[in-house]
Amino acid sequence: MYRLLTRQELTTMKRAFNKWGVFDFFKDKSILIKETKNCNIREVYFLSNEIEKIALLEQPSYAGLMIGQLKKQFALSIEGADLVSKISKQFPYVIVNEAAEKSILYGKNVYSRSIISTSKMIDENEIVIILNPKRETIAIGKTRFADTGLLQDDKVVVTTMIDAGLYLRNEGKIKNKKQTE
Amino acid sequence: MKTFVFPNSSISCSFAMQYGYHEWLISRFLQFVPDVKGLIEKMEMKPTLYIRTNTLKIKTKDLKERLVSKGFELEHTILDDVLAVKKETFRTGATIEYLLGYYYIQDLSSCLAVDALDVRENQTVLDMASAPGGKTTYISQKMKNTGILVALETNARRIRALLFNLRRCGVINTCIFKMDGNKAMDLNMRFDRVILDAPCSCEGIIAKDKARKTNHKPEDIEFCAARQSSLIETAIRVVKPGGLLVYSTCSFAPEENEIIVNFILEKLKNVEIEPISYGSEGLTNFGVLHFNPALKNTRRFYPHIHDTLGFYIAKLRLPN
Repeated sequence: MYRLLTRQELTTMKRAFNKWGVFDFFKDKSILIKETKNCNIREVYFLSNEIEKIALLEQPSYAGLMIGQLKKQFALSIEGADLVSKISKQFPYVIVNEAAEKSILYGKNVYSRSIISTSKMIDENEIVIILNPKRETIAIGKTRFADTGLLQDDKVVVTTMIDAGLYLRNEGKIKNKKQTE
Repeated sequence: MKTFVFPNSSISCSFAMQYGYHEWLISRFLQFVPDVKGLIEKMEMKPTLYIRTNTLKIKTKDLKERLVSKGFELEHTILDDVLAVKKETFRTGATIEYLLGYYYIQDLSSCLAVDALDVRENQTVLDMASAPGGKTTYISQKMKNTGILVALETNARRIRALLFNLRRCGVINTCIFKMDGNKAMDLNMRFDRVILDAPCSCEGIIAKDKARKTNHKPEDIEFCAARQSSLIETAIRVVKPGGLLVYSTCSFAPEENEIIVNFILEKLKNVEIEPISYGSEGLTNFGVLHFNPALKNTRRFYPHIHDTLGFYIAKLRLPN
């Protein structure tokens, strides 16, 4: 079910948008929550203004673009991260080289030797957007070290949480499973 | 209406034997397809692969540059957004550019159906059979992510594929209803544009799926045609006065194409068939049937003539 954000959710989202440097962009944009009946998942959708009305009135299966999920905090989806990387001037990121890009798109973690550069002041356990050399979003990860720790030799320094290749890999698994059944 | 079946001949027998088709299908092709041997031989080859740039995310020029730098050979087509892949260095569906939603793998004929829809920004558009989303995402980019695009799909698994493609392409102006196109009236909405890419017998995609040479029967065409008649009647009802309906199939069968559109023209005298720039003229007769002469404005696409999959497009304008 699509609904407007509660005051508390709005506060959480404002904080998140601020953190990701997209507060101004979303100031006048339509954002809705989609709640599923049986599980406690609240998905956050970015919609055009006209679609927002339809979503609230007609309750379609899906409307707009899912930019993330609201748990205790807001967790970006790949599409949300893609928007952030295009709009924001200040957000936590790591840029990896072309060789690492391919393995990350297969869900592999990020090694220090793959990192070309990072944003300033990254904490340990911080959620970062993983960008390729062209600064395009390929994944979202969690740091295992802070700042210079990310550049230690031959260590996994960022755990890949979701990547742009995830859906196709899952579809492939479903197909293979069906074929073996 | 029963599917037309024509007497077999030495030619139909010879083609059917040589290329592994049901003979009834070849006998039918011989009635209306120009150069049947050319068609059959072309459908033995791998069809040309086309990609359509997602201009919501990248310009065609920039996409071309990126793929060419990776060893792809691409050629421009009659549509600015669509490129023919002449050589792929690795699978076109496995590039980073694909995952980032910079392009959609989509046949030129399917893109031409959306082109015929003449979509503008801020319109209200209905896609009556939307998964996996090739036409839906193309419509959205033509609307520049504005207005309202309603996508209908009944199958949950196909909705997942549709959703993936909408997300990949960065679409925000679309809502999906798990709904049969026949129930479109329940939406209580009227649309500036409606596209009905009707479920069909898929004769036109034999080049992609060789099983279709033998796995369908004349009764399947009847079944599809009945469903298409019902869908197009609903489609007409939800178009605004002066609005456009584009009807398409990936079938060669006149029962699924001209006969369906002719049925609408007989029923609604004020509906006009608008011309489409590309493709071969639609049929104005088939077997003992004679259709409204305006059906020549509809378009047929043949693999051996147009280098596309087999396709049919009709553009219907409702009276104001």
